[in-house]
Amino acid sequence: MRKWSRLPFPIRAVLAGILALGLVALAGPADAQKRGGTLTIVRPTDPVSLDPHTETTAPGAWVYYNVLEPLIYLDEKMTIQPRLATSYEVMSPTKVRFKLRPGVKFHDGTPFNAAAVKFTFDRAFKSTPPARWASLAGPIAGAEVVDDLTVDIVTKEPYGPILRTMAMLYVSFPSPTAVQKLGDGALRAPVGTGPFKFVEWKTNTQIVIERNPDYWGEKALLDRVVFKVVPEEGARMIALQTGDADMVMFPSPAQLPTFRKDAKYVVHEAPGLRVVYIGFNTKLPPLDDVRVRQALLQAVDRKAIIENIVEGLGVAPKSYLSPGVFGYKDMQFDQLFPFDRAKAKALLTQAGWTPGPDGILQKGGQKLTLNWIAQRGRYPKDGEITEAVQQMWKEIGVDAKVEFREWATVFNESLQVDFARHNWTFGWATTNADADYSLFAQYHSTQVRPVGFNRTGYNNPKVDQLLEAARRSLNQTEREKLYGEVQDILAKDTLWVPVYNTKEIVLTRSTVKGFVIHPVEYNLGLWKTWLDK
Amino acid sequence: MLIFVLRRLLLTIPVLLGVLFVVMLTMELIPGDPVALMLGDAATKETIARFREHLGLDRPLAVRYVRYLGQVVTGDLGRSIQQNRPVVDELAEAWPATVQLTVVALALAALVGVATGIVSAIWPNSLFDSLSRLSSLFGLSMPVFWTGLVLIVVFAFWLPLLPVGGVGSPAHLVLPAVTLALPSIAMIARMTRSSVLEVLREDYVRTARAKGVGERFVVAKHALRNAAIPILTLVGLQAGQLMGGAVLTETVFAWPGLGRLMVKAIFARDYVLLQGAVLIFAMAFVVINLIVDLSYGVLDPRVSRQG
Repeated sequence: MRKWSRLPFPIRAVLAGILALGLVALAGPADAQKRGGTLTIVRPTDPVSLDPHTETTAPGAWVYYNVLEPLIYLDEKMTIQPRLATSYEVMSPTKVRFKLRPGVKFHDGTPFNAAAVKFTFDRAFKSTPPARWASLAGPIAGAEVVDDLTVDIVTKEPYGPILRTMAMLYVSFPSPTAVQKLGDGALRAPVGTGPFKFVEWKTNTQIVIERNPDYWGEKALLDRVVFKVVPEEGARMIALQTGDADMVMFPSPAQLPTFRKDAKYVVHEAPGLRVVYIGFNTKLPPLDDVRVRQALLQAVDRKAIIENIVEGLGVAPKSYLSPGVFGYKDMQFDQLFPFDRAKAKALLTQAGWTPGPDGILQKGGQKLTLNWIAQRGRYPKDGEITEAVQQMWKEIGVDAKVEFREWATVFNESLQVDFARHNWTFGWATTNADADYSLFAQYHSTQVRPVGFNRTGYNNPKVDQLLEAARRSLNQTEREKLYGEVQDILAKDTLWVPVYNTKEIVLTRSTVKGFVIHPVEYNLGLWKTWLDK
Repeated sequence: MLIFVLRRLLLTIPVLLGVLFVVMLTMELIPGDPVALMLGDAATKETIARFREHLGLDRPLAVRYVRYLGQVVTGDLGRSIQQNRPVVDELAEAWPATVQLTVVALALAALVGVATGIVSAIWPNSLFDSLSRLSSLFGLSMPVFWTGLVLIVVFAFWLPLLPVGGVGSPAHLVLPAVTLALPSIAMIARMTRSSVLEVLREDYVRTARAKGVGERFVVAKHALRNAAIPILTLVGLQAGQLMGGAVLTETVFAWPGLGRLMVKAIFARDYVLLQGAVLIFAMAFVVINLIVDLSYGVLDPRVSRQG
């Protein structure tokens, strides 16, 4: 067994403990935690279900993240922590062994054990159709029972991102007894091991969960949490102000500045996992010339866009990945390609483009015209950003023609083999928080349309090789280094104009204490939250 | 009479067939794949294909249409794509809320609208008449999602008298019902006013007055009964209108009805759920129209004699 393969859980736990003690000491007795009370959350839509088997979107995940538990999970600092597993060990490049926490029971009394883990994996991969998260699980093949409290997770090929994948909230475990007994009913009434128990779901009205008094770990402080559906943004904000709600999901961006100034409310923020960008199709001239791509990046005043358009909704991205993602490295855009119109023009002149009579650059009688597809409203301010960049490119003599279509159309078209647009405005979230998820899917040459998500048509044997090595290796230090190299290459090859990194934003009344926002939108952990009223 | 009802009910079959066909065709034509939406930004082509096959989406539209009709005849509306629940269950949960909201709104619209209209007609060009005409113009012009939000701000926020939204008590019903009823009140008031005014100018009303019938009786018996047919037609049409308006009102007030269900189904491209919801709406529309048609006969015996 190699040294790195053991995660130092105990050391982390001790360090975290010391830190927590320190913070408690600093905060003093004024912030003594109070037990009890009902936290009311308003959010725009009802879930699909409350079981990750069929629900991988936020409205359901917000609820079941508190009811069902994974083997390991990512804390708010995006480090892996134990949950239903106490430790793990890499047995071979295709096998990871998890030791399960003893004495854990599901809310219905069923013991949690290796058989329960295997049950969920079998259900996820062998049922028709498979679980909705199955396609996010890479080459994971299934679970094998070693003994009652030991389980092996087996992959079809060496799979470096396995830890982050296992830490996704989707890979959490409902009671096999309940699933067998209730059938489809279990999808709407989850029975887990978590700090909260499911109580009721009134369709399109509310979902209620309550404290699990028999929880194996530190028990939740709140008595109950009520998730209400309030589709209209304005109505959600009013519900918070009247006290009908304590927490708002998807608060109104326009009203946030007012709420920030008011001591009765707290705006919780964390950089999210999504980067909103404008892509370059490297297969289509003139974007096959890296100088043209670099010039276009340098012509964009990204700071102005963040300050004036995105405002409080996002921060300047430093990579094609978000900072919370494993393998993230600062790609140094501001040093490599700072906003500089003169430099951009010079690059285009070097590439042979000269101003024509109408101010549009041309080469050999051909105008520098770009054909761009975008949507409005799929990502915050995507339409406005597109128009701003279009204008900025116009100022250096590039004529970009934007076609606004519905999101699903843009999505489908951009994955077709004959995709003939120079640019598109899109967002990409690293769902499992591992660089492999984003970099392999988007930049490996085997993933070029129509196979995968390599929309840029990028093909670089060196990058392919690094990505393959990083995917095969289970040495996380080595993987981090490899992804760093990939990002350095991508930065110079300029495949995107990364416009902003999303922020996760949750608005609460100031009586809501102990809540810490998570960079993964779906991970709304409420077991440390309490009410000071 | 019975034959009339039966004939009308039989006529609903082609109407429903047509409605379903239009819905399925529209869902086919609008961009967006329910499976791609369901599986998110990063689903593989293989998974998408498996789901499509599982849901029967790989079949051509005509095959799906005929298959669906076969199911509907046996009372099976299929399973919703997103939630994988029987559509019948989803509709059963949602329709009572919508019926409650539209019935209350319709009653409100009819009562307030007719009353305002009559008063306006009796004293035309009075201050009351001018005010009611002005406010009905306002009621007609303002979209329900705007009036809804304004009412929330005024009655739930500034004067915290009523809840912001949701269901639970009769108080929860007040704002959505008023919001939904406002445009209909305006329409009905205007129609009642002009209809009653017209009748009041008729010769038989003058005769009635001439023979010494009291003014109250003239209005209630002679004028209103004769003015009732256009008003009733309008009220019937408004019932349909209200169901449409419920889509927006339910969204603003977090009211868990069919309108919300439809909006959700459209955004998720859940065509099975949408077809079920549209089927219910279409049937309700047909039934309301039938009731209106039948009531003509009660109000005006000439109609049923011809029928």
